[in-house]
Amino acid sequence: MITFSSVSLIYPNAQRTIVEDISFTVNEGELLLLIGHTGAGKSSLLKLINGLIPHHTGGILTGEISVAGRSTRALKPGELADVVGIVGQNPVNGFVSDIVEDEIAFGLESLGIAPEIMRKRVEEVLDLLALAPLRRRNISELSGGEQQRVAIAAALVTNPKVLLLDEPTSALDPIAAEEVLSILHRLVHDLGLTVILAEHRLERVIGFVDRIILIHGDGSVDLGPARQILTSSPIAPPLVELAKKLELGEIPLSIREFRKIAPEISEAPTKAIEKLNGDAILTINSVSASYDQDQSSKALEDVNIQINGGEIVALMGRNGAGKTTLLKCAVAQAPLTKGEVRVNQRDPKSFTDKELIRFVGYIPQDAGDLLYGQSIKQECDLADLDNEVEPGTTLAVYQELMKIPSLNSHPRDISEGQRLGLALSIILSAQPALVILDEPTRGLDYEAKKVLIKILKQIASSLDRAVLISTHDVELVAEVADRVIFLADGEVIADGSSREVLKASPAFAPQVSKALPNNSWLSLSDVERCLSEKN
Amino acid sequence: MIKTLRASRESFHPLFWWLWALSLLVILLVSDSTLISISISIGAVALVLMKRSNTYWYQSFRWSLRLATLAFALRMAIGVIIGVPMPGQVLFTIPSIKLPDLFVGIRLGGDVTSQRLSTAFDEATLLVALILIFAAASALSNPHELLRVLPRKYYGIGLATVIASSVAPQSARSIERVRAARRLRGESSTGIVSLRKVGTPVLEESLERSIDLAASLESRGYGYFPNPSRYRPHNWRPRETVALAAPIYALIFLFLVPAASSALLAGLVVIAVITPGFIS
Repeated sequence: MITFSSVSLIYPNAQRTIVEDISFTVNEGELLLLIGHTGAGKSSLLKLINGLIPHHTGGILTGEISVAGRSTRALKPGELADVVGIVGQNPVNGFVSDIVEDEIAFGLESLGIAPEIMRKRVEEVLDLLALAPLRRRNISELSGGEQQRVAIAAALVTNPKVLLLDEPTSALDPIAAEEVLSILHRLVHDLGLTVILAEHRLERVIGFVDRIILIHGDGSVDLGPARQILTSSPIAPPLVELAKKLELGEIPLSIREFRKIAPEISEAPTKAIEKLNGDAILTINSVSASYDQDQSSKALEDVNIQINGGEIVALMGRNGAGKTTLLKCAVAQAPLTKGEVRVNQRDPKSFTDKELIRFVGYIPQDAGDLLYGQSIKQECDLADLDNEVEPGTTLAVYQELMKIPSLNSHPRDISEGQRLGLALSIILSAQPALVILDEPTRGLDYEAKKVLIKILKQIASSLDRAVLISTHDVELVAEVADRVIFLADGEVIADGSSREVLKASPAFAPQVSKALPNNSWLSLSDVERCLSEKN
Repeated sequence: MIKTLRASRESFHPLFWWLWALSLLVILLVSDSTLISISISIGAVALVLMKRSNTYWYQSFRWSLRLATLAFALRMAIGVIIGVPMPGQVLFTIPSIKLPDLFVGIRLGGDVTSQRLSTAFDEATLLVALILIFAAASALSNPHELLRVLPRKYYGIGLATVIASSVAPQSARSIERVRAARRLRGESSTGIVSLRKVGTPVLEESLERSIDLAASLESRGYGYFPNPSRYRPHNWRPRETVALAAPIYALIFLFLVPAASSALLAGLVVIAVITPGFIS
C-alpha cells in the first residue's frame, strides 16, 4: 500500500537529516505505530506519506514514495485526498466548519461528490464513529475526545485507503483514548484500512498495533513486528519494562499475555512508611464555580479540598470535568459563585501579581503561553526581573533541572520537554509554596517524563511546598502522586491515596497494577524498590 | 428523490455580511457627513448586540470596540496637537513648540480653534465608523464559512481571505489566555512593553494555526477538483435580499433627497443598518 524506496529528507538549514536512505513497505490493512523521541521526526514521516512534505512544508526529498501506486513526488496532497486521510496533532486548528456534520462533509464537497452520495457517506461515517447524536452540535462545545472523533470522521469520509494520525490520544482521558483506538482497530479489521499512528503513550496503543516503526533520530529507522522492536527499543511501555525487569524472557504486548507468563511474586510486607505532611498550603472550602461570567454553566459544585506541604496531589477525571477550573481557583482566575479559597491562609484574590508568584507557581496547559523571550537567555533574565531575584537564578535552576539546549535557541524551537523545563524554572526561581501543573505530559516522551518526575519529587521533598497536577496520564500519577482526587461533572467523587483510588478503578489503573493485581505496586519504581529490598 | 439539505435558519449567507459592510462603506464615503458616521456606528453596535452569540468571532467585538475608542482618542489628540493653523474662534491654547524652518506651515501645539476641533472630530468619527463596520461584519460571520462560497479556482485568494478575516477574532481569544498566563509570571508591565509580550505568543500561535488550517485544507483536496459540490448549500434567500436592500434604499434616498432633514437621514441610516437584526 505504501512503499518507501531509499527516501532521505532534510530541511534546508538543518543540522541533521530527518531520515536517511530508508526503504520499507506497509501492507494493506495494517495498523502501524510510529515511535521515537520528541523531535525525532515522527510527524515528518507522516507528512511525507500524504505529500504535505515537501509540497506544503518544504524540505529536500530524495528517493521515491508511493501510496496506492501513486507517487507523492508528482502529486500534491490535494490530489491524494481520495486515498490518504490525515489527522494532525491539533485537529481543532484544521476544522473548517462549526457544525459537526458540515465539517465531516467538507472533504466530500472538495472532491465534488454528488449530494445524494454525500448524504449517504456522511451518515455512514456518523454511525461508524458514533457521532450521530452529536451531528448538529457546535464543534467548539465538544470534549477533546469527541473532537478527535470528528477529525477522524472528516478524514475517513472520502473512503481513503490510508489513515494517518499524529498523537491521536495525547489530549484524551484514558476512556476516550480507548474509545478512539477501538474504533481504529475495528476499521482496520472490518474495512481493511491501513492506519499509521504516531504516539508517545505506548501503554495506550500497544495492544492494537501490528508492527512498529522506530525512528532513532539519527536518520535510521527500524521496522518490525511489535514484539521484536520492543525487545531492543529504548522506548517501551511500562508493561514491557516490567517484563524485562522481572527477566521473564518474553515481551508481553497485553496485560493478558503478561499474566500468562507472570510468576507469583511474594511481596515482603512493606514497612508502613507514614509520610509526614506539613501544614495546609491550599484549602478549598465548599467552592462552586461557573465556566464564564454568566452563572448558568456549572464547572464546580461544592468542592472541598485541602493540600498539605510535602504532598503531590493528582487531579484526574474526564475531559471537561472541571479540573482546570479547580486549578485556576488557586490563582484567583476562576469565577467563584460560592465558597472560599485559601493559599497559606490568605485569599489569592488579595495577592498582588508580584505576591502571587511567591505563593503559587502555575504552569498552564500550553507552557509556551508563559514564554515571550526571543532566546532562552533572555527568557531567564526576564524571569529574574519578574521574580525579583538575583540575576542568574532562573538559569541556574534550569541547569539544575536538566541538560539545557543552547542559550541562544528560541523557546519555540526547543523540544516539548525542554520548554516545560524552562517554564518550570521560571516558576520555581520565585520559590512558590504551591506548584500547579495543568496537563504537563502532553507531548512528552518517556525520557522527558522521567526528568519531570524527578523534579516534582524534589519539590515535594520539602515540607512547606506542595505540588498539584491535573493529568490524564495514569502512569505519571502512579509514579509520582501521593494522593489522587477524582472529579466528575464538577464534583469530587474520590479523594484518597493513589493506591486506593487507582487500584479501585479498572479504567484508571496503571499497567503495573493491572499486570500484578495481587501485589500492591502501582509503578515500576515500586517494583524496583521492592526487588532491591529483597536482594 | 433525495431532498437537498438547507443551511441552518439563523445564519445568513456567508457573503452577506461583507456585502452589507460594503454598502455601508459606500454610504459613509458618499455622504461624507459626521451625522451619518455617528448613525452608522450606533447602528452597527446595536445590531451586533441584537445578534449576540457565543462564538469566538462574536466575542472579538469587544476588542474592536476598544480599538475604535483608541483610534478615536488618537485621532482627536493628533488633530488637536499637530497640523496647519486654522482660523476660527480660539477655544484654548496649549504650549507650542517651535519647529525648524523645514516644516513650514505645520505647528505643534498652539491655539486650538473651534474649526480645528470640529475637523478632528469629523475625521475621528469617520475612522470609528469604518472600524465598526468591519468589526460588525467579522463579529457576525463565521470566517471559515467563507471558504465554502469563494470560488475554489482561486484557491490561494480564498485561503488568504479566510486567514486574514479569522486572525483577528481568533487572536482576541488567544490574547485573553496569554494575558492570564502573563499574570501568573508576576508580569505587570503595561503599555507598549506588555503589548509586545502578549503580542509575540499570540502572533506565533495565529501563524501556527493558519499553517495548520492550510495543511488541513490541502490534505482534504480543497481547490484541486474542478467542480466542488455542496452538502448544505448556502442559498441566497429573499431575506438576505431584503436585509441588503435597506442600506441600498437609504443610499438612493441620500442621492434623491439631498435636502432632507438631518434627523430624518440619521434615523433612516440607523434603521437601514439594523434591519438584518429583525430578520432571522
